[in-house]
Amino acid sequence: MRGFVPFLGHRLFRALIALWLVSTVVFVVMRLSGDPVPLLLPPDAPHSEIMRVRRELGLDKPLPVQYVIFLSNLAHGDFGRSIHFREPAFNVVRGYLAATLELGLTAFLLAALIAVPIGLFSAMRRNTLVDHAAMGLALIGQSAPTFFLGILFILLLSLKADLFPTSGRGDWRNLVLPALTLGAFTMASIARLTRSAVLEVLGADYIRTARAKGVAEMWVVAKHTLKNAAIPIVTITGLQFGTLLGGAVVTETVFSWPGIGRLAVQSIYNRDYAVVQCTVFLAALMFVVINFFVDLIYGVLDPRIRAG
Amino acid sequence: MELTRRDLLKGAAALGAAATVPLTAGGLAVAQTTQKKELVTAQAGDISKFDPHFSTSSNDIRVSFNLFDNLTSRHPDGKLYPGLATEWKLDDQTTWRFKLRQGVKFHNGDAFTSADAKFSIERTYDPAAKTMVATVFSTIDKIEAPDPFTLVVTTKKPDPLLPARLAFYGGQIVPKKYVESVGNDTFNAKPVGTGPVRFGSWVKDDKAVLEANPDYWGGKIEVDRWTMRPIPETAPRIAALLKGEVDIITQLPPDQGERVAGNATTRVAGALYAGLYVLGVNSKRPPLDNPLVKQALSLAIDREAIVKELWRGRGIVPNGPVAKGDNHYDASLPPLAYNPAEAKERLKKAGYKNEEIFIETTVAYVAQDKAMAEAIAAMWKDIGVNVKVEVVEYSVRAQKNREKSFKGMWWSDPTSTLGDPDGMMWRLLSPGGPMDYWRDARWDELGSAARFSVDEKFRAGAYKEMSKIFLEQLPWLPVIQPYEDYGLQKYVEFAPNPNQQFEVRRFNLKLRRA
Repeated sequence: MRGFVPFLGHRLFRALIALWLVSTVVFVVMRLSGDPVPLLLPPDAPHSEIMRVRRELGLDKPLPVQYVIFLSNLAHGDFGRSIHFREPAFNVVRGYLAATLELGLTAFLLAALIAVPIGLFSAMRRNTLVDHAAMGLALIGQSAPTFFLGILFILLLSLKADLFPTSGRGDWRNLVLPALTLGAFTMASIARLTRSAVLEVLGADYIRTARAKGVAEMWVVAKHTLKNAAIPIVTITGLQFGTLLGGAVVTETVFSWPGIGRLAVQSIYNRDYAVVQCTVFLAALMFVVINFFVDLIYGVLDPRIRAG
Repeated sequence: MELTRRDLLKGAAALGAAATVPLTAGGLAVAQTTQKKELVTAQAGDISKFDPHFSTSSNDIRVSFNLFDNLTSRHPDGKLYPGLATEWKLDDQTTWRFKLRQGVKFHNGDAFTSADAKFSIERTYDPAAKTMVATVFSTIDKIEAPDPFTLVVTTKKPDPLLPARLAFYGGQIVPKKYVESVGNDTFNAKPVGTGPVRFGSWVKDDKAVLEANPDYWGGKIEVDRWTMRPIPETAPRIAALLKGEVDIITQLPPDQGERVAGNATTRVAGALYAGLYVLGVNSKRPPLDNPLVKQALSLAIDREAIVKELWRGRGIVPNGPVAKGDNHYDASLPPLAYNPAEAKERLKKAGYKNEEIFIETTVAYVAQDKAMAEAIAAMWKDIGVNVKVEVVEYSVRAQKNREKSFKGMWWSDPTSTLGDPDGMMWRLLSPGGPMDYWRDARWDELGSAARFSVDEKFRAGAYKEMSKIFLEQLPWLPVIQPYEDYGLQKYVEFAPNPNQQFEVRRFNLKLRRA
């Protein structure tokens, strides 16, 4: 395990830089989007009242000063107060985080667990009907817009077939349709990539060697093929988590799922700086953490990476 | 969404002239019943505030008008009924005396008295409280509570509409002792009122659960529990209704009515909106400062086509600034005319030199706004107007509204808060009002005089003359008075209120039992 600690340290440092950049961009963009104060007061509020609220929220200070305060608070885990909900931004976001994690992780696991076997199977049965059918479905999954899929699922699986509730959060039955909708794109991407990665490996010399020396086909697949095809699959899986978080906005709206995607969009409309900053920061944190683990898995899968 | 829309278009074509059939009539043939003890409703957005003095948004007042009572109550029939006040009368021109209901308790057990009523109304305009309803009771001079069940309100000048003002937002009665002891933020998080439901729980963007108040003075409501869910997208909201997951949905778009009415277990109920959908006009900005240009624009709008095509007949063409159903609505005025030839003529007479005219439209701020803006822009292009449609976000609209910085026209849905022109055109267009972009000395004089007169004959004359001036100068371009439609299970007996109050009290909501 020589070199593993510096490898870890390097990745951690890069993760911190990414989080800092994301927070800074959100800070700047939110302030470019306009003043939240007019949305807080009745339309006929006098100018003095507007100035008072601006002062109260610290919006009268120069931007660089606001930025320094923001960063120092962030370093202490303080995301500021929501101007819309009138409570600490983190408390607001925390209420939505569980719902998003529940939906996001289910979609993610569902996607990975369904997609990898499909991709593998397609590759092994290349150019058969099974392969064409699976890849055709994947193409649909990748190209159909999320809101379209979501409403299609509601109409077919909920309204017509009466299998699942139409919307809302509740037991596992409520989770199926939004998770399928949210996971569709990811599922399709992973399936297609698995197929091509496996195909590439199947043509390699060591596979031919393995078969030549009489290794059972199951072992050829499990040990020689999958492990070698795993690097690109793990990479795309990690990156797809970001797509998943992006897709959550639409999925949560279609299924009225009380998650952070919807909260973020509403907070942008409300110009609720603190909540947007907190939501984006936590989303970025999730993405960074997942990809940090992806990097770790690389190191486990391929010793050359941690050495290099 | 494309798919459902296309499905619907097919469905609509098959139904032929369905739009002209009153949608509420279909329900009775297949009488449906239920044993449900829980009511589930869905609206297009979540609640943002429970404190009734801090929001006028329709998503909030649907709930808050049921958590709280007002002194007076406007029922869906448009008439005023007793609420927490049982009687009221004028002592003299500026003194109103209210007799309050005895034996009423707040949800926390505190008794309701005149001190709560005095505190609530004063709270709305208390500068320290910074409420969103600070201007509702600007006619009030002072409020006295001579005994626990009498309230005496003195107005600065005669105010014939005070009992009407008390029925709408701002007029909800909150518990003095509780609000003072816990503060505004806790009161908003755990609201306490006298209404037919009491606060149970609220998971933001998921659901609000309200429990029936068993001791309600107006009788316990039909169910034990009421859950209000936000379902923002139209298609899933309708799907939830069709599948029977919810009992009532609000904001049913006109092009989806046939789908709900055509389903065996659901029906549509609508009320003509107590207000108008108008294009606000920045009359300070050339060429819109020229009444001839505005007359031409108005004449070029084919409102009949908008009602028929975009609204499937679920609306009427306005005839002036007063909504149908309001006091002093003049039924003798013809609907606003469509005459493109005359419009061209007036443009020429106005000396219009192809200046840009902007419509800053929102998307779904009011129903069909973007579609109507595009249709109207096409009609104006036909008479040679250089029109530009720009789309703005709600928050941008809110800011422009505050700063009065619209470039030309924008969508607005003036609500008639009092069932009277004073609560609509005068509230919004008066000097210093939220839509003050235009002034006319005579109009201002009449509006002010009518506000402070208890002589209905005088007021009728004033509003008649104001309507005439309005139609010449057009500070708004009224476009449609729409129906606001709800989707209901057939076992639900419910009358929509034209002013967006969502009334679940016993007199207005019943579930048909087996």
